[in-house]
Amino acid sequence: MSFFHYFVRRALLVIPILLGITVVAFIIANAIPADPINANLPPNALNDKDTIAAFRKKWGLDKPLHEQYLTYLGNLLQGDMGTSIKTRKPVAEDISSRLPATIELATLGLIYGTVLGVSMGLISAVWKNSLADYAARVIALIGISFPVFLIALIFLNVFYAQLGIAAGPGRLHPIMRSPPTVTGMFTIDALLNGDWKTFGNALSHLILPALTLALYISAIISRITRSSLLEVLNQDYMRTARAKGLHERTVIGFHGMRNSMIPIVTVIGLSYGNLLVGSILIERIFAYPGIGFYMFRASTSQDFPAIMGVSLLFAFIYVGVNFVVDILYFFLDPRIRIA
Amino acid sequence: MNRFKYIVALLAVLALLIGAFAGLAQDEKVLVIGWSENTDAYDPANGFTHSTHIVNHVTYSQLVTFPDEDASRIVPSLAESWEISEDGTVYTFSLRQDATFADGDDVTADDVVFSIRRLQNFKGNPSFLADGIDTVEAIDDDTVAFTLPAPRPSFLSEITSAVFSVTNADVVMANGGTAAEDAAETDTAGAYLDSASAGSGSYVLDLWEPQNRTELVRNENYWGDAPYFDRVIFIHMPESATQKVALEAGDIDLAFDLQPDQIAALEGNMDVEIYRGIGTLTHFVIMNTDAEKSGPFANPTVQLAVRYALDYEGYKTLWGGVKPATNMTAGFFGNLGEEAAFSRDLDKARELLAEAGYGDGLDMTLEYPDMVYSGVSFNTNAQKIQADLAEVGINVTLQPGEIQVALEKYRSGEHGVGYWLWGPDILDPLDFLSFMPPGKVATERNNWQLESLPQDIQDMIARTKVASDPDERMALFTALQEYTMQHGPFAPFNVPEVATAYRSDLLGYIWHPHWLLDVSILSRAM
Repeated sequence: MSFFHYFVRRALLVIPILLGITVVAFIIANAIPADPINANLPPNALNDKDTIAAFRKKWGLDKPLHEQYLTYLGNLLQGDMGTSIKTRKPVAEDISSRLPATIELATLGLIYGTVLGVSMGLISAVWKNSLADYAARVIALIGISFPVFLIALIFLNVFYAQLGIAAGPGRLHPIMRSPPTVTGMFTIDALLNGDWKTFGNALSHLILPALTLALYISAIISRITRSSLLEVLNQDYMRTARAKGLHERTVIGFHGMRNSMIPIVTVIGLSYGNLLVGSILIERIFAYPGIGFYMFRASTSQDFPAIMGVSLLFAFIYVGVNFVVDILYFFLDPRIRIA
Repeated sequence: MNRFKYIVALLAVLALLIGAFAGLAQDEKVLVIGWSENTDAYDPANGFTHSTHIVNHVTYSQLVTFPDEDASRIVPSLAESWEISEDGTVYTFSLRQDATFADGDDVTADDVVFSIRRLQNFKGNPSFLADGIDTVEAIDDDTVAFTLPAPRPSFLSEITSAVFSVTNADVVMANGGTAAEDAAETDTAGAYLDSASAGSGSYVLDLWEPQNRTELVRNENYWGDAPYFDRVIFIHMPESATQKVALEAGDIDLAFDLQPDQIAALEGNMDVEIYRGIGTLTHFVIMNTDAEKSGPFANPTVQLAVRYALDYEGYKTLWGGVKPATNMTAGFFGNLGEEAAFSRDLDKARELLAEAGYGDGLDMTLEYPDMVYSGVSFNTNAQKIQADLAEVGINVTLQPGEIQVALEKYRSGEHGVGYWLWGPDILDPLDFLSFMPPGKVATERNNWQLESLPQDIQDMIARTKVASDPDERMALFTALQEYTMQHGPFAPFNVPEVATAYRSDLLGYIWHPHWLLDVSILSRAM
């Protein structure tokens, strides 16, 4: 199969998936037995027929469900995701102002998590059943079984409030202003602006939430690294490499790690998707205005346009990550090219 | 493997960065508030949330207002005096001569007329508040007259609300605003007024990033006393635990939404001061007067037994505050007060139940929203109600519901027995009529019909709506409250205290029952 064929086939599959997501998200959002009127109008305005009628008309809630859906889809195709009931801004604008914050956080979380996870997995595999192996496995167990919000709160309490060695909630210190927007990622925008103070402050505010995220994903990365590497370490070519007199570091680092990379890369890729969509609680606790934070508020106030927009975005991220991983397979694993 | 060295070096640099930027010098006098923002809009004609009012209270001025510390009386603001017509339907206000908007324009009667008409025609979230105004006319530049359809003694209290803020008509119109009848469709000033203010308050709205931050800067043209802080920053921190750590670390000056256990944990912290006051939220049990919905609990004798069975002191131990006698908000003019409230009397409750034919016990399903509101847990209270009522033979099954779902059932009057809270719509005793037929809670939500009341009580309700003489009002409110205590379908059991924690160098903090927080009266110790 040529790369072109492979690419087109994968890309075409994405369309029905995204369309399906819009239907499912629309049905779920509307199936909740509560009225967005109650969620968005003050209690006392509920007696006022004019206000309610104006609200329904403004947000298209007076039309039948299928009509609402088709209108939504039509607008979506023109790049219009609607206007958020709560923020009164176009959903696309809300997303574009919040997604960079999440990308910034998720990326640093992924870097920390990968470094932590791969090192722990490596140590565990190379010194199998040693004290270090057990220690790494216990850390992994904690990372995966402790609720993230608890870790987040402990981190904030200990490193920020008590010890005072870490920066607190938010993206910047409260009295600092955001750097001029270029990418929306504060660290990068500050650097582009040559503003080292803002860069340092933005980076310091990323550290605790990123570490919290890292602890969570490093657990699974270290376990996959350990099992994948252990499998490779038992292969004949490892014995051959040692027999050739290669240094142990080359044996593990080059022959071992490289051949065990495919499952690790897969897990890292999927973890990135998880971090982008799954940091709702962390963002909330760290008062970090990213997309998860936005989703939380949208769901609790039944802000349909926002819920739909973010659901689509999340689906798109997952589909996108899977797509990229699929494409990577093509290059990493010769068997796919042959099949 | 040099890569490992690089990684170690990288981590070391990152670790250094952690603490490097903790202290930031500042020249401006800045106040930082941590709150859970629920702003729907800062446009006065469209916003109707606590956080909207906290901001608009200082970015705009109204005709009249309350004193800084309570809601006991009406004091002048943009209006320096006012007259009420004999029949109580026309209010004529004289505006101060020296009041200007933040851009230097004079505040005129035309601005008042524009603001009120825009509020009415915009049909935004708070517009219903202006339904009770027939006309508003400018008599001359500094005089404006409001006509009401019928006398309404609560009118002045109503217009203290930031909803009745006077906006600069020229600025609003220049940004797409209109007060015309079709304003609901044609007014496009919302976007402007959500990012800037067009008022005459002590501050100006400088920035709003929804669900993130709101910034105010001092209004240099303010006609009143200049506030202490140059800039006020509100940071959205939805988790109260986050507010607590940020307060301890000193990054915020005031944590607005702490829960009682978090307040307790801050006691003894030298850097933190705690303010306690009486709140305005009444927690109550509501028993549907329609027997098809609530069964035996539609019976007034059973309802009275429930009032005798609740352990009022216990709720006070849990949440502080006061024991309410009725659903009239604590501290209001005419409130019967704690002395008149029920005390727990289990024998009396059992006796009443036996009298109603339920001496062998009965079942109740208690519906309530599964939420924590202002730090008070509905689950905790519901479990306590369950335990309290068990002692008189009422077997309670708890039925917590998702807030929106439960609210729907409550508002449509479909519940049987429920547990809810009430915060007053207006800071006037007239608000109590919501709990008397044909008021909203009494009739719409609980099917309590006016016809079921004795004629003299019906007459009193009608009279209360128009009476403005303080002595007469006092007598009427007393009689109505006493009636509901004996015959009403409500069992109010607690008005939790409000507690706010702030850095101890912050001066002048007062919790206000109406606008909750006034940042313009705060300052910092030198």
